[in-house]
Amino acid sequence: MSEVLRLRKRSIGEILLYGKSMLPALGLLLLILVLFFGFSTKNFFTLGTFKAIISNIPIIAIVSVGMTFVLLIGGLDLSVGSILGFTAVNVVLFHDVLEKAGVPLGWIPALVVLCSLVLGVIFGTINGLIITRVGINPVITTLGMMAFARGLSSWFALGFEILKTGRITDQKFLNMARTYLPSAKVAIIPITLIYIVILYAIAIIVLRYTRYGRNVYAVGANEYAARLAGIDVRKIKFVSYIISGAMASLAGVILVAQLSLGRDDAGIGNEMEVITAVVLGGVSMAGGKGNLFGVIIAVLILGVIRNGMVQLQQAIGLSYYWREVVKGLILILAISIDAARIMATKKRQRVRQ
Amino acid sequence: MADALHVEPEALGKRRKRLSSTLILFLALVGMIAAFSVLSKDFYSFLNISTMLTNISFSGIVAGTLTMILITGGLDISIGGNIALTSCLAAYLFNLENPVPGWALIPIALALGAAIGAFNGLFITRLDLNPIITTLGTMAVTRGLGYVLTKSRSILIMEDVTGFIGRTVIPGIQIPVPLVLLVITYVLLFFLLGRSKFGRKVYCIGANQAAARVSGIRVNSVKFTLYLISGITASVSGLILTGQTAVGMPQHANGVELDVITAVLLGGTALSGGKGDILGTLAGVLILGVLYNGFTMIGFRYVHIRVFQGILLILIVALYELRDKKKT
Repeated sequence: MSEVLRLRKRSIGEILLYGKSMLPALGLLLLILVLFFGFSTKNFFTLGTFKAIISNIPIIAIVSVGMTFVLLIGGLDLSVGSILGFTAVNVVLFHDVLEKAGVPLGWIPALVVLCSLVLGVIFGTINGLIITRVGINPVITTLGMMAFARGLSSWFALGFEILKTGRITDQKFLNMARTYLPSAKVAIIPITLIYIVILYAIAIIVLRYTRYGRNVYAVGANEYAARLAGIDVRKIKFVSYIISGAMASLAGVILVAQLSLGRDDAGIGNEMEVITAVVLGGVSMAGGKGNLFGVIIAVLILGVIRNGMVQLQQAIGLSYYWREVVKGLILILAISIDAARIMATKKRQRVRQ
Repeated sequence: MADALHVEPEALGKRRKRLSSTLILFLALVGMIAAFSVLSKDFYSFLNISTMLTNISFSGIVAGTLTMILITGGLDISIGGNIALTSCLAAYLFNLENPVPGWALIPIALALGAAIGAFNGLFITRLDLNPIITTLGTMAVTRGLGYVLTKSRSILIMEDVTGFIGRTVIPGIQIPVPLVLLVITYVLLFFLLGRSKFGRKVYCIGANQAAARVSGIRVNSVKFTLYLISGITASVSGLILTGQTAVGMPQHANGVELDVITAVLLGGTALSGGKGDILGTLAGVLILGVLYNGFTMIGFRYVHIRVFQGILLILIVALYELRDKKKT
């Protein structure tokens, strides 16, 4: 049976359904989109577009790393957008407190990042504890956390005098996300691109080569079997939610540095975009399947669409607001492909038996 | 089918137990009303109670249909987007060069809701997609279409139709129209879920989908119908909200999913499916309404209440979980 299949040339549909990885299909989709926008608008193939896309994606890219860990263990985290927003509000607070405390300016950015990460870890810990120890459904837990963190950030933003404007003017801090390489004169590569590359490299290594990473896949593929094999399932899940919280906070800091503004409405709807990216990237909703290579391509696809549609509005007058509609449709398309792949695999296994 | 009949006495016993927990919820409701009446002078007045009931009717209506979906183990979070799109569509239709005649809005809005519901239902049943993510996608699509229709503006709607649905108080008995719609919806849903064959099928699917399928219930068609009804009721809610606010805007009903899900879970419906009823949800909706209104009357702000609501949601589910663990 398998030999017959191997001998035949496979069609694109078959590669999509049975292929071990979604990477070829995703790469193709990205290429098609780039070509489409390139030829339907005037200024798409320029350095400006490249920079705009790259500076738009870090937030989604960073949060997607955390969401990948959570989806891989078969969970879901709807609270990332609110954690991002709460961090954004607090970054301004941390910065102000540190400045008033007389900490040398050079140290402040690093300390702010550290404080924010602690904040994210706290939120992730609460999520993880409720989900793994109390045993409450992750959807409800993170939905509750979503309301809690968003309400808290509005509370802070209304309550503290310095947070009313939410502005940060410290150039050293802002440069964290606004520097271009190789030099100020030849500004080609945004520093945020470097962050993304480093972060994804670390996460990919963790998922592939560490014991924790292997266990994440094991728990997601078959929780029961993983428990029998002696894996501490609760701990693995717990750590995944912590990673998700920390990544959301990290994205919050980068967002404030990019906008020089930390407001309580930062990151609303972020969870939808992130889930779209991760699922489109081939990470299965059922858990245990997928990798970050697919996710980063999916993030790029979303970035290209976002930027391409702005240019499309200038070129042919198509309203920019169609973007939301397109995003929603892509999400549904992505999970449809995921579901079709799961069904196809099941059918095949049944045939073999 | 015979097997399903055989289970009946046990199910009846369960219903009696349910009723008692619903009773506790209603007692808690009375307690809260008493407490807020003491804490705030203006709480227990005809005007405030009437306003409160009008305010909860739009989320209350969708909570009723969401109860049935949750019982089958599904979820619909596109309701907020659906409500927003209905209001945007109304704004769009009334501002065309040849405005649509007022009353035509109602069938158009209901058709829109049905279409969205059918879209959800088709994808969830035919492709067996995860309902949370599917409806999350639909939420983006519907809200996005709202942005497209209104170009992200808030558009004033001063039509008689929406005004009637959202703001009119029926003279003589002094009952606002939204409240009448809420009551009608709950009576209909009560009989549909609690007293009809269809309702039995819903519980059966929730308790054990595979068993339901084997015993001859057309699971997909029941589920599809539920998402269809959910879409239609969401557009009814959309019409009410449009009337109440007199604006069509894509940001309408942002976060209503949370209110509605909290109300339904508070009413004793289990996320895992198979458990819950309409009366419980009614109690949940009323309790949330009283809490919102009461805390506002004694001086809390919306953001504070939002924080507590997040905690409340998790607490409710934890408590029910604890109770179920004790029983077994």
